Amino acid sequence: MFYQRWFKQRWILVVIGLAIADTVLSIWIGQQSYRWVPPQASAESILVDDLFCLMTTVGSLIFFGVVGTLVYSMIFQRSPKYDTSDGPPIEGNLKLEVIWTVIPSIVIVGIAFASYQTYDRMEILGDIGPKSLGMATANAAPMTAEVVKTDPIEVRARQWAWEFYYPEQAVSSTELHLPVNQRANLKLTSEDVLHGFFVPAFRIKQDIIPGREIDFEFTPIREGRYRVRDSDYSGTYFAANQSTVVVESAAAYQDWLAMAAAQSPTPAQNRAYREFQRSRENPNSQGWATVEPAAPPVVNYASSDEESYE
Amino acid sequence: MAMAATNRWLQTHLRRSDPVSTTNVDQSLEVATVHAGEHEEEDNRMFGFIVFLLSESVIFLSFFVGYIVYKLSSAEWYPAGFEGLEVREPLINTIVLVSSSFVIYFAERFLHKENLWGFRIFWLLTMAMGSFFLFGQAVEWLHLPFGFKDGLFGGTFYLLTGFHGLHVLTGVLLQGVMLGRSFIPNNYAGGEYGVNATSIFWHFVDVIWIILFILIYVWR
Amino acid sequence: MSNASLEALQPSLQPQPGAPDNWKRFFTFSTDHKVIGIQYIVTAFVFFLFAGLLAMVMRGELLTPEADLVDRTVYNGLFTMHGTLMLFMWTFPMLNGLANYLVPLMIGARDMAFPRLNAAAFWLVPVFGVILTASFFIPGGPSQSGWWAYPPVSLQNPTGNLINGQSMWILAVALSGISSIMGAVNIVTTIFRMRAPGMGWFKMPVFCWTVLAAQLIQLFGLPALTAGAVMLLFDLTVGTSFFNPELGGDPVLYQHFFWFYSHPAVYVIILPIFGVFSEIFPVYSRKPLFGYPVVAVSSLVITGLSGIVWVHHMFASGTPGWMRMLFMFSTMTISVPTGIKVFAWVATVWGGKIRLNTPMLFALGGLIMWVFAGITGIMLASAPFDIHVNNTYFVVGHFHYVIYGAVVMGFYAAIYHWFPKMTGRMYYEGLGKLHFVLTFIGANLNFFPMHPAGLMGMPRRVASYDPEFAFWNVLASLGGFLLGVSTLPFLLNMLSSWARGPEAGDNPWRAIGLEWMVSSPPPHENFDEIPVVVSRPYGYGSDEPLVANASEKE
Ligand code: HEA
Ligand code: HEA
Ligand code: CUA
Ligand SMILES: [Cu+2]
Repeated sequence: MFYQRWFKQRWILVVIGLAIADTVLSIWIGQQSYRWVPPQASAESILVDDLFCLMTTVGSLIFFGVVGTLVYSMIFQRSPKYDTSDGPPIEGNLKLEVIWTVIPSIVIVGIAFASYQTYDRMEILGDIGPKSLGMATANAAPMTAEVVKTDPIEVRARQWAWEFYYPEQAVSSTELHLPVNQRANLKLTSEDVLHGFFVPAFRIKQDIIPGREIDFEFTPIREGRYRVRDSDYSGTYFAANQSTVVVESAAAYQDWLAMAAAQSPTPAQNRAYREFQRSRENPNSQGWATVEPAAPPVVNYASSDEESYE
Repeated sequence: MAMAATNRWLQTHLRRSDPVSTTNVDQSLEVATVHAGEHEEEDNRMFGFIVFLLSESVIFLSFFVGYIVYKLSSAEWYPAGFEGLEVREPLINTIVLVSSSFVIYFAERFLHKENLWGFRIFWLLTMAMGSFFLFGQAVEWLHLPFGFKDGLFGGTFYLLTGFHGLHVLTGVLLQGVMLGRSFIPNNYAGGEYGVNATSIFWHFVDVIWIILFILIYVWR
Repeated sequence: MSNASLEALQPSLQPQPGAPDNWKRFFTFSTDHKVIGIQYIVTAFVFFLFAGLLAMVMRGELLTPEADLVDRTVYNGLFTMHGTLMLFMWTFPMLNGLANYLVPLMIGARDMAFPRLNAAAFWLVPVFGVILTASFFIPGGPSQSGWWAYPPVSLQNPTGNLINGQSMWILAVALSGISSIMGAVNIVTTIFRMRAPGMGWFKMPVFCWTVLAAQLIQLFGLPALTAGAVMLLFDLTVGTSFFNPELGGDPVLYQHFFWFYSHPAVYVIILPIFGVFSEIFPVYSRKPLFGYPVVAVSSLVITGLSGIVWVHHMFASGTPGWMRMLFMFSTMTISVPTGIKVFAWVATVWGGKIRLNTPMLFALGGLIMWVFAGITGIMLASAPFDIHVNNTYFVVGHFHYVIYGAVVMGFYAAIYHWFPKMTGRMYYEGLGKLHFVLTFIGANLNFFPMHPAGLMGMPRRVASYDPEFAFWNVLASLGGFLLGVSTLPFLLNMLSSWARGPEAGDNPWRAIGLEWMVSSPPPHENFDEIPVVVSRPYGYGSDEPLVANASEKE
């Protein structure tokens, strides 16, 4: 009797101990998650990273819980070699089954709610449909930044070059410059196929649909040079279709605009175009027919396409 | 030891019947299953065919959804200079096609009562009505001022009517086969799976047309 | 029928599909579901090797940041064909093969409902496989628009030819769809109408439930893809404007058509593997499947939910915010029926008498990788996070964990488990375990590093990448090559044990199920006498018999 009770209690203690260990481990992994992503260079990135941390923690808890149980069985509940008997004929347990239906339901409602709030506070999309579902924008992220109303910067994507156009100053550039801590307004357009506007350091992305104008917003909060990538597969030179976004102080930004406006347009370097010309000169290139890249954009400010970014 | 245990275990769990014991099988039970077998095969085919038609209807559904989305979202729907479709002839066509659903039903009834000539006459009438529909559609196509490549309306119009027309044509051809088969002696003595399936297919084609007609001709 | 009893006396005279004695029958238009099943599986596996070989070249290219091993157009053709072949030539035919072989045996039927339709559906597979493969050799090469074939890229056709990689791709996918529909009609009819007497729905093995659930998806999903493909083909060849934005068309509508099928398609792929897990865990734990009725029904719940989540592939596309939120939530609900299954398997294994034979190892390994993949799937379902990782290697990592980790490992589990039944011979356990170890290490080494690369922002479908991603890519490539190597012990094992492995006996695993009651390999029409099922499957540990036999009827 005593022995049995002691055994049962010890068993419960072991389970509680393991659960605590799993929780501690998961929280630790969750904290690590911030190091797996690029530096937080936009207001949105903070929100997304917190959400990712939450999901990593919950995910680790589930993963190690399930896998730990399995591995325990695999190690300690093996059948002796010549033992042909069966295990206990347990066919189910209503209580358990209800528990493992209800708990995941609660967990996903929690994750979905956190995601919803995050998305609502990001407010990255302009008019693509009804704006956002709720009205929980009172303390939304964009409000923390200065809102300076300017005409949106036009982002023109094509096979395979990026061109950024500042309508107020009539400046065109192959590099995107943005003032720090100000809401950035972009208008995304494509002349040929689908492209995707993606800045990993900002944690934001939007496909660009030919025939549509998509308003897109976010708030850079950290000065530096970051990568702009084409994220939606756009054909042969898709991988080469990258550019740089420069986040700088408001003063530096204005200086840059003024400097660029004073320059006369020149053709920029363009990797896709260059590679295409080279392969055309090379008679035994091993490739198949490709869509010809557009000529390099002629812009006021032509960035070098050396890779210089964080 | 282990072997013996295994055998004992297998005996309790599986009771694989000894081949020789099959001779003991209840004879009448076996005869019953054989006859059920033939009917079952017919029923299986009907079941399978209906499953197939349900699946097929999703293709039409997809085209309908495409049509609705395009119509609701595009700025200029009709090709330049085109005012809208003429409804009168298509309406006559529609009435003929929809009535043929009733005609084919009577044909089936005659077959069920083993009145072969009644079946053939009504069946032939259905075929004629289906062919009339196809003819009417061909005439309409020839006189339309726009083509397949003329915008989203042109594209979806020909896609939908064409795909449906293909089904009508298939139906008429199937009916031809079934008519031919009715001249094989005793062919329809047992089951009439082919006839019933063709008839169901025909009703299906009709229902699709009604939706199509409403979407394309009635909805402005 | 009258000579059934005669035949039963001489079972050895019947042709035995799967026995190594007469391999020529696998090259005929056989209508025996067991021959067709093996035909499917072997054909699919050949294409798996081919598509895997393409992946090896891709991993070779990705060893270094520059696009140096192959031209960019070639790389783009490679991943397009890799994805397409893997899905349409490997997973679907492979699973149809398993279903074909097992379902009639498991439900106590002599064959499928429509044997000739069955054979026709199979023989379409090599036809469209050859069409796809042939597209490597035509001017302009194979399709290079990814396995989604999104317009406008898929409409660009730089060669200007009517017969080009893209049109052949569409033709092959359409034929694949026809074959799948034929298979689905057949399997659904068989399961609904040909179960042995006494086998009510809740006496049917879970594998059959999951196959049914999967085939229902084919029936409602494939037609949508077909509709989209037809319109795409007209745009490409005739010049209509459905998806061509220059002519006023809408490329996003194509995405809806495509994902309305292609999302549910992933459950077509995983559901039968869930079935395999549900069959294997009880056998090697010697316990009944925990919560059998709920596990069975949750398959159909997954079928239902799979039809209302497709927009999660378009969170960063031209979709409004409300749509993103709605589909985010619907997607997450999938984890509930799936969780029910996962926890039921864990509870089945728990406290059992576990035997780590090769099938069990693969099933356990597959389950572990599936849980990992499912959790990254739930992360992807969270729209704001997906916006960061969409179209990056994080997604590639997610789905290879499912598709290699769970599906291919589950396939291996199934093959090892039913190999003695299919061939009458036993595989070599040592080689099997070696195969497992190489596969498990290789798969994790290959696909885990894709997650950090994706989180850092490495896009997918790139032949060249920024140097910061090199470290993870080298690891992934090494894992990829290891995976390639891991197939060798498998091939060796299968070929040698099929030819002259030790005799296996009818039921080497002491498993409960109708398929284990017939000889190995099963005779031509499976059952001399159709069994009468009297109890639930998985009766381990209790003494209830599975079937009532003739002598008991008196
Ligand atoms: C067989 C294949 C398969 C399967 C089964 C799944 C399963 C899931 N997938 Fe995956 N997926 C793919 C194959 C598959 N996927 C492919 C091929 C792509 C990319 C296609 C392409 O772009 O080329 C993709 C892409 C993809 C995306 C799009 C990403 C993007 O492009 O940006 C998303 C987003 O939501 C997603 C989500 C999910 C989810 C939520 C599940 C769920 O079913 C997972 C559910 C499982 C679990 C959650 C684990 C078990 C549950 C528990 C232990 C219970 C407790 C858990 C919780 C409470 C969370 N998948
Ligand atoms: C069932 C599905 C499946 C399977 C099993 C695999 C298996 C593998 N995949 Fe696959 N993959 C996809 C489906 C699958 N993939 C899909 C759908 C895509 C998306 C495509 C797209 O974007 O459009 C994709 C994309 C994809 C990419 C991303 C490409 C890109 O975005 O740029 C990569 C990169 O590493 C990759 C790698 C691999 C590897 C290394 C394997 C390994 O597991 C392969 C292991 C290798 C073998 C098993 C072959 C062994 C062969 C031999 C040793 C030779 C024997 C020789 C003879 C008999 C002649 N895959
Ligand atoms: Cu897949 Cu969705
Ligand atoms: Cu999905």
